[in-house]
Amino acid sequence: MKSRFSLALLIIGCFICAPVFGQKPNTAAGSKRPGAAKTKLKPPTSRLPEVSLSKQPVDMVVAPVIASRRDEVSVAANELDRQIEAKLTELKQKPNAIVTDEVFLRRTYLQVAGRIPTLAEAELFLESKSNDRRQDLIDQLLSSPDYVSNMYNFWADTLRLVQSPTNNMVADPYLAYVKDSIRENKQYDQWVYEMLTADGKLWENPAVGFQLRDDGMPLPYIDNTVRVFLGTQIGCAQCHNHPFDKWTQHQFYELAAFTTGTKTRNLSGGMEMGKAKGKANSYRSLMTQAEAKYPNGKVPGHLRRVALANSYSVFETKASLRLPHDYAYTDASPKALVEPTVLWGQVPKSALNKTPREQFAAWLTSSANDRFKHTIVNRLWKRLLGAGFIDPIDDMREDSFCVNQAAMKLLGDELVRNDFNLKELMRTILYSKTFQREATDYDVTSGDAYYFPGPILKRMTSEQVWDSILTLAVQNPWPFQRPDAKDFAPNIDVDLSIATLESLEAVAAKYEATYFQRSYNKTIQKFAYQGNVLCRASELPSPLPAGHFLRQFGQGDRETINGQAATATVPQILAMLNGPITHVMLETGSAIYDNVVEAANAKDAMDLIFISVLTRKPTADDRRVAVSEMSRAERPGIAYGNVIWALLNTKEFLFIQ
Amino acid sequence: MTTPEISCFQRRQFMATAASSLLGVSFANILMQDGFAADAPAKLPVAAPGKAQHIIYLFMSGAMSHIDTFDPKPDVPEGGETKAIQTRVPGMMFGEKLPKLSMLAGALAVVRSLTTETGDHTQAQYLMRTAYKQINSIRHPGMGAWMVNQTDRINRDLPGNFLIGNVDRHPGAGFLHASLSPVPIANADVGLENTELPKYLDEKLFNRRLVLANQFDRRFQTKHPNLEIDAYNQLYVEAKRLMGSDKLEVFDLTQETEEIREAYGKNSFGQGCLLARRLVEQGIRYVEVSYGSWDMHQDLYAALEEKAGFLDNALSSLLRDLKAKGLLEKTLVVLATEFGRSPEINANAGRDHHPGVFSGLLAGAGIRGGQVYGASDDRGFSVDSDAVSIEDFNSTIATAAGLDIKTEFIAPNGRPFKVGGGGDPVRELLA
Repeated sequence: MKSRFSLALLIIGCFICAPVFGQKPNTAAGSKRPGAAKTKLKPPTSRLPEVSLSKQPVDMVVAPVIASRRDEVSVAANELDRQIEAKLTELKQKPNAIVTDEVFLRRTYLQVAGRIPTLAEAELFLESKSNDRRQDLIDQLLSSPDYVSNMYNFWADTLRLVQSPTNNMVADPYLAYVKDSIRENKQYDQWVYEMLTADGKLWENPAVGFQLRDDGMPLPYIDNTVRVFLGTQIGCAQCHNHPFDKWTQHQFYELAAFTTGTKTRNLSGGMEMGKAKGKANSYRSLMTQAEAKYPNGKVPGHLRRVALANSYSVFETKASLRLPHDYAYTDASPKALVEPTVLWGQVPKSALNKTPREQFAAWLTSSANDRFKHTIVNRLWKRLLGAGFIDPIDDMREDSFCVNQAAMKLLGDELVRNDFNLKELMRTILYSKTFQREATDYDVTSGDAYYFPGPILKRMTSEQVWDSILTLAVQNPWPFQRPDAKDFAPNIDVDLSIATLESLEAVAAKYEATYFQRSYNKTIQKFAYQGNVLCRASELPSPLPAGHFLRQFGQGDRETINGQAATATVPQILAMLNGPITHVMLETGSAIYDNVVEAANAKDAMDLIFISVLTRKPTADDRRVAVSEMSRAERPGIAYGNVIWALLNTKEFLFIQ
Repeated sequence: MTTPEISCFQRRQFMATAASSLLGVSFANILMQDGFAADAPAKLPVAAPGKAQHIIYLFMSGAMSHIDTFDPKPDVPEGGETKAIQTRVPGMMFGEKLPKLSMLAGALAVVRSLTTETGDHTQAQYLMRTAYKQINSIRHPGMGAWMVNQTDRINRDLPGNFLIGNVDRHPGAGFLHASLSPVPIANADVGLENTELPKYLDEKLFNRRLVLANQFDRRFQTKHPNLEIDAYNQLYVEAKRLMGSDKLEVFDLTQETEEIREAYGKNSFGQGCLLARRLVEQGIRYVEVSYGSWDMHQDLYAALEEKAGFLDNALSSLLRDLKAKGLLEKTLVVLATEFGRSPEINANAGRDHHPGVFSGLLAGAGIRGGQVYGASDDRGFSVDSDAVSIEDFNSTIATAAGLDIKTEFIAPNGRPFKVGGGGDPVRELLA
């Protein structure tokens, strides 16, 4: 399937024959047919989805920054800068210069809101004379729905958020829950504790999604949890003593013993997969009835899914863990009972009378657990500055090199002091001069350490590219939001222990009509342009098909922790050169088109094009090139289209200065 | 600055003119790379006789069970439900789900003594593809990038390295030039998208836009000499080279008969293998077809039923097809996976990760088929004889393709690396 624009007629109204200067559209692109009959003047109809064409506020109440803390945050940011600069001085290095307003504007929008600013937003900031404009912008963006969308993408990559981790698990409510936790700026330690200890089904208590992500793999669950929240890799120790770090296999099992009682399936009376063993369970008996009912025993997919999806339910039992049968070390026998023991420190006293799973969660999220706070500090620091204080951020060891221990500790202490408020932590980093300095071209494989004279120049993430293009293309880049537990529950919930085949089928029919993936995908097609649903990345299905623009730009299948990539590939370039996503903004009704049409003259039009795409005014050289282009083009509309396309295909667009 | 008129679209002329007059420094350097750069490694001529000129690398991602495929153990409980069938080669038994491949056993070299060091998917896949352990401070090249690095480019329009299927976690070109990265084809049915200009855009207009882009980008690129940006510039060259090329027909699977398409199997792996054959026909050096969902921790036999069938059809069709077209004597076909699966069947009727011993296949150019190399013990648990490390396996593949496994290539960070990770090629496997 090659990407084609099937009719030249469709190009009426696009920038090739733009009616910018009141010219009538031709019926054939680019052709001059002298003496052709005058076509009746009709406003060109847009091929963009209806709902994308007009601005709509996003229906979301977002926890704001704590306004009264501004001075406190400034003080903390100054202290952070002092630590960074002290280290640079010690190494006879210099911090980079502070960036211009234009660079700051684009960078801050991308890093906080996940997208470039609209023309109006850019002009508002650039025209402001307020001394506090940078801090005002930071606070405003941190308190916006855009922040939620942006941070969702960050967590989706870290938590590997997918709708179906295993066959027929419906984890969508968990994805919406993560987004909601960001929206209300849930206290970080409480949020993690909640995810580690939740019970129930996904649409009853969506936090269970975290424990269900590694369903059926209780040992990798421990490995992944420790890696995500404690920045430590103990996975090797699952099978043998860790080759590089100090963890032993025995220690791995001791930690895993805390959660060995966690069950993830409740099939009411035994949950053996494959063959039904011993007493029949409800799921098995319902499926047997279904197989008898349907021709050739082919139970419809949505029916089987609803049945299985309802079998996923997290609860804790009393259980003990034994060492594996082939345990090879001399400190214990194979199959010996393992006592739950934490890797370092101890279970907080307040948790000693709680269940093992709660003890594990309490230890992990404790304010006394340095690696818990330092890991999130590193993760956010890397997101904003391009590398962690300790890098890699999820392989901390006792002898790991930290480029600035004082700065990392400062931020960790700030976080704890402010009740694990992630938004205020980000605010502190964003207020700093360090964040606002010019970006450096640093290559992590050079072998040199990086001491943060400024952020590292990086390509936008796939979601930042996508969301930015949407900002240029549509007035409303956020026409819908992902469904949540409340949406799902009435369309999927079945109590398997009392369900009959009829009651199961009734619910399955509701599911099939609503959120069954095939149906849901059809529903959201009404927001699509050339098959691409035009909505912010945070609301799209996960994972996306491998050929999707977001995947091509490195979003990843979310099977690996922080699996996203930013490397160049040929398909990305082809997509930017020829693909529909680049051309969508050349359509009538696109946001940038609407702005250009209203420009008073060619100079203003060029200025606003540059501000829209690159968040800066054209330089003198740029103007010369633009003027030259205008003089060559048959119509101004063609020149505008060419310049927009050209700017989109610069590296300046793709990279974050 | 005046823009030169480009009156007729000849890609190479355009590139030469543009590079000399307009484009940024790095762009001109990239053009020089097109075989003429002073610092490009000396290319080997067309491969030595008996050596592979192409590699088709079939990667079963997720860890393919060895016991249920090429190393059956019907006489012990660990063998599970898999019965063994006699192949064309006396004494060589396969799992019953691979009847077509068993007919082609005479062409296959089955390695049953592969062994690796990690049971983590990401790390093991990286090790298998690069012959090096994954570490933070360097990105190692995949075999495909090494191969195009060391060989002539047969097809001038298309890049020489492709990856069909799931591209996640692939090492790509590592520290080698970005232009050597595999072109990812997510979907064989769909092929390479966006290779044609939209209908309203003619080539002249397209070129004008490109010139504009480079002019606007000049200041930024001059200010930021950066490997990541350079990678984009290199790949722009590749992208433009293939646009409008008639060689793009290689992606049009409808050019094959329905019969052929059905023989390979109408599934992502089958069509991926078919596309791989077509690419090799067009001179592409290295094609990896990555086929996932082998991580059968639960309900293995239900999952294997379909998957083994797809594998059987696709690989046997591929081998027959390559032979029929005279390509098998020039093409090395590899079937690899990151590790095996546990002899013990777990509580969910599946098998878990098992790095201790597992199987791989080699066939075609440079390989002596019709043999089993190495053995696992009677339960499929560990190596019994002739262990083959990942480095050895990769060095064998590289040797079969006539690549240089002895030279230490120095990466940008000053560290030395070898194709095949310094392993010893297994002589018995080589023709």
